[in-house]
Amino acid sequence: MGRLALIGRLAVRDLRRRPAQAGLLLIAIMAATTTLTLALALHGVTSHPYQRTRAATAGPDLVAEYGPAGAGQATGRPVPPDARPLIHAPAVTGHSGPFLAASVTLRSRGIAVNVVAEGRGAGRVPVDQPLVTSGTWVRPGQVVLERTLATALGVRPGDKVTLDGRPFTVAGTAVTAALTPFPNMCEAGCMMSGGGPGPGLAWVTPATARALAAPGGWIYLLSLRLADPARAAALAASYGHNRSLTPRASLLIPWQSVRSADGLLVADEQSVLEPGSWLLGLLALATVAVLTGGRMAEQTQRVGRLKAAGGTPGLVAAVLLAENLALALLAAALGLLFGWLAAPLLTSPGAGLVGAPGGPSLTPLTVGLVAALALAVALVATLVPALRAARTSTVAALADAARPPRRRRALVAVTRRLPAPLLIGLRLAGRRPRRLVLSMASATVTAAGIDAVLAFHAMTDAHQVAAASGLANPVAIRDGQVLAVLTVALVALSGLNAVVTTWATVLDTRHSAALTRALGATQGQVSAGLSAAQLIAALPGVLLGIPAGLLLYKLANGSGQLVTPPAWWLASAAAGMLAAVALLAVVSARAGSRTPVADVLQAETA
Amino acid sequence: MQQEVVLALLAKEPSHGYELRARLGQALGPLGDSMNAGQIYVTLTRLEKAGLVSSERSAGLADRPDRKVYELTAAGQQRVAGWLAEVSWPRPDLTEFHLKLIAAAAAGLADPVAIVDAQRRELLRRLREAQRAAMAEPDGSAAGLLLEGIVLRLQADLRWLEACERNWTTRRKQS
Amino acid sequence: MNQTPSTQVLRARGLRKVYGREAGLVRAVDDVDLEVAAGETLAVMGPSGCGKSTLLHLLGGLDRPSAGEIWLNGQRVDQMSERALGRLRRDGVGFVFQAFHLMDELTAVENVELPALLAGRSPRAARRRAAELLDRVGLTDRASFLPSALSGGQRQRVAIARALSNDPLVVLADEPTGNLDSEATLDVLRLFEELHEAGQTLVIVTHDARIAATADRLVTMRDGAFVDETRLTGGSTGQLGELAGLTGLDG
Repeated sequence: MGRLALIGRLAVRDLRRRPAQAGLLLIAIMAATTTLTLALALHGVTSHPYQRTRAATAGPDLVAEYGPAGAGQATGRPVPPDARPLIHAPAVTGHSGPFLAASVTLRSRGIAVNVVAEGRGAGRVPVDQPLVTSGTWVRPGQVVLERTLATALGVRPGDKVTLDGRPFTVAGTAVTAALTPFPNMCEAGCMMSGGGPGPGLAWVTPATARALAAPGGWIYLLSLRLADPARAAALAASYGHNRSLTPRASLLIPWQSVRSADGLLVADEQSVLEPGSWLLGLLALATVAVLTGGRMAEQTQRVGRLKAAGGTPGLVAAVLLAENLALALLAAALGLLFGWLAAPLLTSPGAGLVGAPGGPSLTPLTVGLVAALALAVALVATLVPALRAARTSTVAALADAARPPRRRRALVAVTRRLPAPLLIGLRLAGRRPRRLVLSMASATVTAAGIDAVLAFHAMTDAHQVAAASGLANPVAIRDGQVLAVLTVALVALSGLNAVVTTWATVLDTRHSAALTRALGATQGQVSAGLSAAQLIAALPGVLLGIPAGLLLYKLANGSGQLVTPPAWWLASAAAGMLAAVALLAVVSARAGSRTPVADVLQAETA
Repeated sequence: MQQEVVLALLAKEPSHGYELRARLGQALGPLGDSMNAGQIYVTLTRLEKAGLVSSERSAGLADRPDRKVYELTAAGQQRVAGWLAEVSWPRPDLTEFHLKLIAAAAAGLADPVAIVDAQRRELLRRLREAQRAAMAEPDGSAAGLLLEGIVLRLQADLRWLEACERNWTTRRKQS
Repeated sequence: MNQTPSTQVLRARGLRKVYGREAGLVRAVDDVDLEVAAGETLAVMGPSGCGKSTLLHLLGGLDRPSAGEIWLNGQRVDQMSERALGRLRRDGVGFVFQAFHLMDELTAVENVELPALLAGRSPRAARRRAAELLDRVGLTDRASFLPSALSGGQRQRVAIARALSNDPLVVLADEPTGNLDSEATLDVLRLFEELHEAGQTLVIVTHDARIAATADRLVTMRDGAFVDETRLTGGSTGQLGELAGLTGLDG
């Protein structure tokens, strides 16, 4: 027990003595835990807003869509369907409609979009009564837009739009649970849309709907309430087969498929955040490993002091492990907090759903997974140096023979023939080959992330071209935002990793670098050399990241097809990364070698 | 007892025999315990015979050396000045040098630090010579061995002289 | 001084190095003037902490003076840029440290050729010169040994060979025998004598009188300042007999 208390005390004292390093470790792990929290918090969030919308608008359990069919219908005026068989079906307990809806082109400020305009009167109906969220309900000469559509167009109550060329004023915006909001609204009206994003939804007066209904461009919508809403999908299937109940071309949409379509937006974000958090987790691992490895080397030199207090290298390792685990737990807690606070930003998906999602719930599972990630990162990163230190005999540690650089004959022979900066840099960095491998791995992870993002943008660009409606897909916009945040986090963490690695190398090779300068190298040559070594380590990683990133995108996207980004995008990303690595290395090298040569050589013996 | 030491002790002012003995004892500390008490009076008598000191009987006291008052003659003063400036080092005699410094300081005749510096310079020159001779000898020669011994002793003496310099510089600062 | 400026390899005026502030002010080097002629060996002696190592670092461009001027071969060096200082350390000055400071993972010959490689010489030329120098210090048979397999004296000799690698104007040695036993000290001593005879300019900081005795001139330093200067050449002869106790003694 006393030993544990000692470890605890030493750990706290050590953390207090090195606040900057502790802070770096914390930030590194926090990046991963926050992202994971966000990813996990998105689970189960989607159902809340949909349920609220359903409750607020008396959402239907089943929507029947009657399209034009039969001779004469395709060209003639709209004819109301005979909905009585369906209305009087035993399982149906309530209905509203059928309402005529015309397919029109809405134009606003130069943007044109397909819209299904449903004709509704001023009175309230028992099932599917849209809830007005701004402005007022529709009156003659006016149109009410579904909220997502209005947001996508940037239209507000009072603005003027045209439907099929005829001018209307926007009376307000409203939400409904009957159909999925723009642009996913392909459950209904897919027959009419010719591909691309689904049409939007709007409401006009019944007279306007009749006036707008063009030959072949109209449907009738019937909303039904069921005795047993849970059976909506089964009933939709059975009614669909029963021609007597549902004559004419018609479509039955159960409310569950609307709910899941709603959730697609959030699901998309999840598919981005989850792999993103693993990437960040890997980077955090590499950063922590380098930081800890460097600390281990310093600590072993101070074993003498601990030895006076009765310590051994094993104790040192235990202290370091304790510190890192404590920091990891703190990072997990902070990640959970920030993730919980930030989640609402991501989970107000459809403006088409009512209200903010009631805060993602932090289930015990989420807390457990996030904590596990943090602890795993800390443990794995600390374990290797800790084990090595534990196995070092105290005598060797005191003689500071722990981890002396091994003679690398091949490296020496090769670097002899290179110009001075490369000779210096490769020999200095080559003293710790494992660290170089970590650098390469980090570069691979970062490049993979960035290239996956580029693949995503390539795909959305291709789709933009295809849609040609001038209107961006809000799903894509939201995904793009999330990806932007993720990319920034990735780049920042990767930059941190580069700085930490170079700094650790500088500290580790301080004596050799000072000696090399005493023998005639300039500070510029040493910095250039260290930078070149980092670059050489990063290059294969960056190149590997290209196929890795595209593979990652394919895996994350599932069904979506892969559009290879243009070569110059990938090349510039790679060049940018390498330039950043080089710059960070130079800056770190300069910062770390400010001490005059004489002082370094005096302080350390041969 | 080295004659010049006694002469130098008288340089400050004329003194009784027993006073001289007391001052010597103080300067030598525990090393002075092994000193033969009568030696100093023998030396004083010899010096008087050589005409380097003169003595006076103290009024009312018996004619004994320890009760006499001794004084330097002109020849004696000359001898003291010559001795202070000498840098010969015939055989390692730390005591004589040590007393030289004390006497010089007490009489205010010369700066002890300057004496030490001058002696150091001389020893360094000798060390250089001995060292060169030693290295010129073939490996394993007997002469080379002797020369090596001389070099090492000179090195040791020089280390002591450095200590003297430090010590007397501090004393000078304090006074 | 019987040196003309043209024969002076190293010259310093008013050299100062201070640390700290006000009450904590430490004058490591306090207003030092120094001249070293070509081919001369200068020894700097003094107690520990008197600033002699600091002085050497200033002269070798390893540290910047707080005030004063330094000329190497007529070129002003105390205000050089870092890059120029690097070149100075490469071609103008060879350093020998008390702690040897050899690269542990390089063999003796690889250590010696390093300054030449840094100076941009071809690997073959550098290797050839390194072999020559190792031969000069008598360690040809140890050329492919790691420092850990060499004795202290051998390591220091490798370090001296390294210092000569780029044919420097002056070799600066900081307590070169501080970590050596007496036999190794003799080896280094002999080497310094040979270098001196070959015309190499040397400045040696030491508190070993035997090393200092190899010099032409000896300067004593205390509390950062020069307090004494001795010319050691032209010493008294014929005193050896006295030293050995062979001549007559007085009683």
